[in-house]
Amino acid sequence: MYQRFYTALLIVSSVALFIFTLMAGYREITPDYKSYKSEYRDLFRSKATGEFMKKKAESIDFSVQQVYLGKLNRIDRCINCHLGVENPLMEDAEVPFKMHSGNYLETHPVAEFGCTVCHYGQGRATNAEDAHGTDRETHWDWPILPLKYIDSACAQCHDQEMLAENGADRVLRGEKQFVEKGCRGCHKVNGIGGVLGKALDGIGTQPRAYFPMRYVQGDKTAYTWLKEHFDDPRSIVPESEMRIVLLKDEDADLLTTYILTIRADEMPRDYRRIRTGTQEVPGGEELYKMYCIACHTTGKYSVYDEIFKRTIPAIMNPTFLRVADDNQLRRFIEDGRANTQMTDWKEDAAGLTDDEIGRIVEFLAKSRPAKRGKLFGRSIFDGDTARGRDIYETRCALCHGEDGMGGKNRLGISLVTPVVKEADPEFLLQTVRDGREGTPMIPFGSSGINLSDQDILDVVGYVRTIKPTASPKE
Amino acid sequence: MENSKETGIKKLLENIKKLKSSMAASYIREGKPESDMSRAAVMFNNFFLHFQGVKTHLNTLRPTYTFGLGLIALFLLVFTTISGFLLMIYYNPSIEHAYNTVKDIRYVVFGGDLTRNIHKWAGEGMLIFVILHMARVLYTGSYKRGREFNWVIGIVLLSLTFVLNFTGYLLPWDQLSYWALVIGSNIAQSPKEITDILGITKFFDIGGFQKELLLGGTIPGKETLTRVYFLHIMLLPLFLFTFLGAHFWRVRKDGGLTKPDDFVPSISPEKMGGIFTTHKTYGLMALARGKTPAVDRDVENTVLSWPHLLRAETAVFMLTLAGVLIYSYFVSAPLKELAAPLIPENPAKAPWYFLGLQELVSYSAFMGGIALPSLALLGLGLIPYLDREQDHVGVWFSSRQGLYVTITSFIVGTAVLIGILVIVINFGWFRNWWPDVPQVLITLVNPGTIWVAFTIAWSVLVINRTDSTRMGALALFTLFLLSFLILTYVGTELRGPNWEFYWSRSQWPVH
Repeated sequence: MYQRFYTALLIVSSVALFIFTLMAGYREITPDYKSYKSEYRDLFRSKATGEFMKKKAESIDFSVQQVYLGKLNRIDRCINCHLGVENPLMEDAEVPFKMHSGNYLETHPVAEFGCTVCHYGQGRATNAEDAHGTDRETHWDWPILPLKYIDSACAQCHDQEMLAENGADRVLRGEKQFVEKGCRGCHKVNGIGGVLGKALDGIGTQPRAYFPMRYVQGDKTAYTWLKEHFDDPRSIVPESEMRIVLLKDEDADLLTTYILTIRADEMPRDYRRIRTGTQEVPGGEELYKMYCIACHTTGKYSVYDEIFKRTIPAIMNPTFLRVADDNQLRRFIEDGRANTQMTDWKEDAAGLTDDEIGRIVEFLAKSRPAKRGKLFGRSIFDGDTARGRDIYETRCALCHGEDGMGGKNRLGISLVTPVVKEADPEFLLQTVRDGREGTPMIPFGSSGINLSDQDILDVVGYVRTIKPTASPKE
Repeated sequence: MENSKETGIKKLLENIKKLKSSMAASYIREGKPESDMSRAAVMFNNFFLHFQGVKTHLNTLRPTYTFGLGLIALFLLVFTTISGFLLMIYYNPSIEHAYNTVKDIRYVVFGGDLTRNIHKWAGEGMLIFVILHMARVLYTGSYKRGREFNWVIGIVLLSLTFVLNFTGYLLPWDQLSYWALVIGSNIAQSPKEITDILGITKFFDIGGFQKELLLGGTIPGKETLTRVYFLHIMLLPLFLFTFLGAHFWRVRKDGGLTKPDDFVPSISPEKMGGIFTTHKTYGLMALARGKTPAVDRDVENTVLSWPHLLRAETAVFMLTLAGVLIYSYFVSAPLKELAAPLIPENPAKAPWYFLGLQELVSYSAFMGGIALPSLALLGLGLIPYLDREQDHVGVWFSSRQGLYVTITSFIVGTAVLIGILVIVINFGWFRNWWPDVPQVLITLVNPGTIWVAFTIAWSVLVINRTDSTRMGALALFTLFLLSFLILTYVGTELRGPNWEFYWSRSQWPVH
């Protein structure tokens, strides 16, 4: 019964099945790489001279080829399309048949190294889109590395000096940027560095999802993210507090190259060619650049920072150094400054050794004037706070605010922070008397506004009693 | 001695000549199915065909009665099993190699990608067709007259289909697998919500135990993959095929598919030869419940299974195979990045068929993950025992009233469920209104429990108004089906990062 219906259904289904079986079979026997292979064979034939090469051209294997790299835990199938990488006849051919540039493959034969160990990308894939993995929809975390960053891959096995000697100096130049722009002032690497930014350990091998790609203009890859982020951090991460430290496009590329060498994995021993040399001990100036320069810049002038919404003090300012002795500087660096972005740099926090801090202090102290200021000779605050209040309201409130909180759109710093609360009397008194060169803080003593020493004692006494009206904002 | 004249060699040559016909005859022992007798014999003498009757009722062949749904589900199982065998040749169930071997299957195994697609889509297709088959059985009242327990077996098969699909989803060890596993294990852990409220988690942590049983640890790892693989290729298929055997056996014993009592064929059936006579006796094996053709009536409404039933089945087989192949040709099974425990997917979603549950879990982990699904399965399983009216079997929606109840339930249910969802999405729930509300109150009163309470109340109301438990069953099942559809849709399409509401995927904040 329903014989005609079922027979019709059977016939229609069978025909559809037949057609799609043929189509699936055809798709299966004509993968992309086969057409590349036949194109390559034609090219090879036309270029080949001599019996041997001609034979070689004819003997191209059309089945899928792969390089199995046991120790590297990789299988690379790139050579199914990039067929001429080791063929000198293909020197002028177009990609993908072009011979590999330079003499790299002489020292890094494909059979031993494959391709993805340097170029990344998805070695197992057999079509261009998935193999290159640049498109996000390919779901591959380590897409092909743009050639301008390729030096970073060399650093997996080679030390930077060796690379620099051999023309791959971009890593070394990138590291110079990394040090001189003070990246470690905010970012930890190997447990040493500031805490304001994310630690950078393993960033070169982070999966793509680690990087918020929303505002990235180019390819949605970690490489483009890093580069565009260095160009303008807030265009990629709007809430970023990172400062724009780079001026030139070129520098951003160099820094990207260096950052990509900070990897979580390590090459097998057999592949590594790292010479162990004596590590140069960085001097005070270098350490200052590495950890301090990002915020304090030259240290000569205080700057109101739009991102932190506070004034960053001028720590190499002579008038500051005149009142702050080495021990005090060391304490500032070791313990940081509570309620500010200043990190605790001591060994069990941000990781600087006593010795390193000593060298930074030494470097800072170079700018200290030989002559110390006249001492007040006080060890406690004993001014008349009622009088001090009157003086404060006429002289100080304009910049530091009625509430003493300083803050947004005010020139003065907050006076209710521990920085001020816990400072020595001598330090505060002299600062008020002599002002702070290079900052809006003018001298209130005889060289400026001409307050008497007693006035200064009173006003500082009052300042010490101000209580924060609300919790200070970050 | 005539035979002595023939030499051994001659006999051998003779036998070789006859090889084709003698082998065929040994396989089909009753000769070509040319007579009614041999057509009948082909059915009951063949192991693979004897699950079906020698004669088939015309109603069974009516395409608009069964739509071939159960059969399609069976064929999908066959395809997914065979493609599964092929995948097992290459797949390696270790966290180091699982992802890579799946990549190899995609890129270099001949037909590997297609095989994987077929395996995936046939498996998920099973879910859809098992549910549709269940709906057909319910709406035609086919869980009655001795078929009550077979309905329960069907529920078991449905659950197994879900779990098999889920375990398969975990094997590629990509981001989808990993985070589905995290969600799955959190659901397994959700009784903790209750033991925490009772304050007995310290002594009796059933949730934690379930989680560790699934994961073989506290986070998904290599132990988990071993377990999931064992479940997927061994234990669950074993159960599935065993219960499937029982399912078919019972259909056969219950006299084949249900049919209306007053069946009138729309086309006059061919007159059949007299295989079944009223005075023939049958062996015990052939005894079946229900009205067999032997009981004079209805005999004229049956046709021989060979060729009529087999033709229909072959057509459905071809249709299913073509459907799976065409779908698999165009749509690739997803494969995301390698599992990264430190990089959560946002939103981390279970596979689509569990997203309705995940929506419920977002209200209360215990209710959504354990209590309500268990209650739903229990409720479905009890339908044949709570509705014991024996008339109108084999008729879609039983009667005009049944159709009316179904449509009304559908409309009212849609309105109520969408209403509840609109409230949750726009205004949040207790926690947003009174941050200090005790968790026990949310566990007991949340959109999920309110909806289930409504389905029960509505079904009782229908029973009360119509004086028919059958009408209540139609209402209850309609609401179940509806909530599966709507909640799955909401979970799949309308929920984005942090399980927040979005009209479409294109509005998700791009990460």
